[in-house]
Amino acid sequence: MSVLEVRAVTKQFGSLVAVNAVDFALDEGEILAIIGPNGAGKSTLFNLIAGLDAPSAGRILYRGRPIAGLPPDAVCRLGIAKTFQIPQLFSRLTVAENVLVGALYGRGAGLAEAWREAREWLAFVGLADKAELPAETLSVSERRRADLARVLGTGASLVLLDENMAGLNQKELEAAVTLLREVRDRGRTLVVTEHIMRAILGLADRVVVLNYGEKIAEGRPADVMRDPAVVKAYLGEAYA
Amino acid sequence: MARASVVSVFGVLLLLPLGIGPYPLRVATVIFMWAALAGSWNLLAGYAGAVDLGPVVYHGIGAFVTAACMLKLGLPFLVSAALAGGAAMTIAWAVGTPTLRLRGAYFAIGTLALAESAKQLALAWDRLTGIPLTGGSAGVSLPLSAGYLVFYYVMLGLMTAVTAAAFWLRGSKFGYGLRAVGENDRLAEASGVDIHRLKRRVYVGSALAIAVTGGTAGYWLSYINAAEVFSASMTFQMVVMALLGGIGTPLGPVLGAAFLTLASEFLGTRFVYHYLIAIGVIIVGISLFAPAGLSGLLDLAWRRRARVSL
Ligand SMILES: Nc1ncnc2c1ncn2[C@@H]1O[C@H](COP(=O)(O)OP(=O)(O)O)[C@@H](O)[C@H]1O
Ligand SMILES: [Mg+2]
Repeated sequence: MSVLEVRAVTKQFGSLVAVNAVDFALDEGEILAIIGPNGAGKSTLFNLIAGLDAPSAGRILYRGRPIAGLPPDAVCRLGIAKTFQIPQLFSRLTVAENVLVGALYGRGAGLAEAWREAREWLAFVGLADKAELPAETLSVSERRRADLARVLGTGASLVLLDENMAGLNQKELEAAVTLLREVRDRGRTLVVTEHIMRAILGLADRVVVLNYGEKIAEGRPADVMRDPAVVKAYLGEAYA
Repeated sequence: MARASVVSVFGVLLLLPLGIGPYPLRVATVIFMWAALAGSWNLLAGYAGAVDLGPVVYHGIGAFVTAACMLKLGLPFLVSAALAGGAAMTIAWAVGTPTLRLRGAYFAIGTLALAESAKQLALAWDRLTGIPLTGGSAGVSLPLSAGYLVFYYVMLGLMTAVTAAAFWLRGSKFGYGLRAVGENDRLAEASGVDIHRLKRRVYVGSALAIAVTGGTAGYWLSYINAAEVFSASMTFQMVVMALLGGIGTPLGPVLGAAFLTLASEFLGTRFVYHYLIAIGVIIVGISLFAPAGLSGLLDLAWRRRARVSL
């Protein structure tokens, strides 16, 4: 059974169709990338899956169970959690407490176990030395990693990462790709969005391309990159 | 260190009635009462970030249910106060279920409107229902109470319970969930926190403490009327005390209650008409120069002393 099935999902904001009848499915242990230019509907689609917003039409199934319209806390406890494109924090809690909250409530752990989880995931993303600092003192790239640690701390088996690698240089990007592969190897299924294709070439098993809310291509990264429709969406008519 | 001094202060307060006369004991009881009320408000506002402008609803319910149990059923005071607490919890659960879904300013305005409606309903209750309960605008007289010591200890117990709850929230799972909601409710939700259930639980808990405090205060004064026990100025006093002392800190409301009560007692007798202005000036001063409240100032002083002694 698929981990996630998105069937003809549509989201309208007034007259704007942000996500238009999108379909895709996801297998256990897969890394799927959803790419597309800014405004293509990637974040909106993530919000629909994570329960932060309800679709206007269509169905979303998590391990066969319909979840569209469930509140986000219920979706999280079922096993889906996402990082935010603008990384979100509990500003005045410490970095470790940020991850702790995810472990306490997403995973339903007790305090002792949740503290262990929090420390483990902070070390995993390389923030162990910042654990006791107020979260608001982190830099933007540290916030992204803290957000990732919180999501991993919830124990979610399906992890959605919304441009979690934005703004990284080549070296940091390689480190991030290694880290996310390790996440998958620890038994999680991942969906990542990026608007920079370079970032996902070495990471994703499969790519879905969105443009103006519609799925315009799907396949292996190398094939998708050569697809004329994709090239056109990214670079404009002249290059098609 | 801080915990040890809190515990020893509590010990002193337990024995205080042996050493001082009725007037200072009365002032101490007033401080405990306000500390319990402001502390209850702080549990929801200071931790979960939900600014309730209608906590006085449960104060009024507590006062009238306690009075009714004592007058109509002839029940002892403590039993009556406990029943009032139970009634307030039930009503808080029913009221909190829809209203706690409101966010930010909508919740504040909604609860403020609710409190005003509750006051009008209480004033009209006897006339509307034919069941004598509130005495309309004439109010209700309670049996004369047996001495003041019982009030001193009940109010001390209430303040202690509320403060202990606030201390407990700092390191518990429930407390972390509430603080997460207060910091960023959408992120808390996305992290698996059932924000509505957590907020409702603390709302119901603080309604219990506020109602028992209201019932105790009513018996102590031996006269209650709806306009007073449901008055918005009580709510504002709770809010001001918590802000003044330090919102979201366990001891903030206690400090705020002590400071404002003493200031009113001290300044109030001398400049009856000016003390409100003086308090206004003090509050503005503190919020300008010490936005974390009195407990923030104490923290700072404590840390400075610790550094000096190193
Ligand atoms: N809450 C909202 N209300 C109205 N329009 C929105 C809202 N959220 C997103 N949009 C619009 O939907 C489209 C898709 O946005 P988004 O999902 O953020 O794209 P992406 O993440 O691919 O850059 C954009 O045109 C955006 O302006
Ligand atoms: Mg986006």
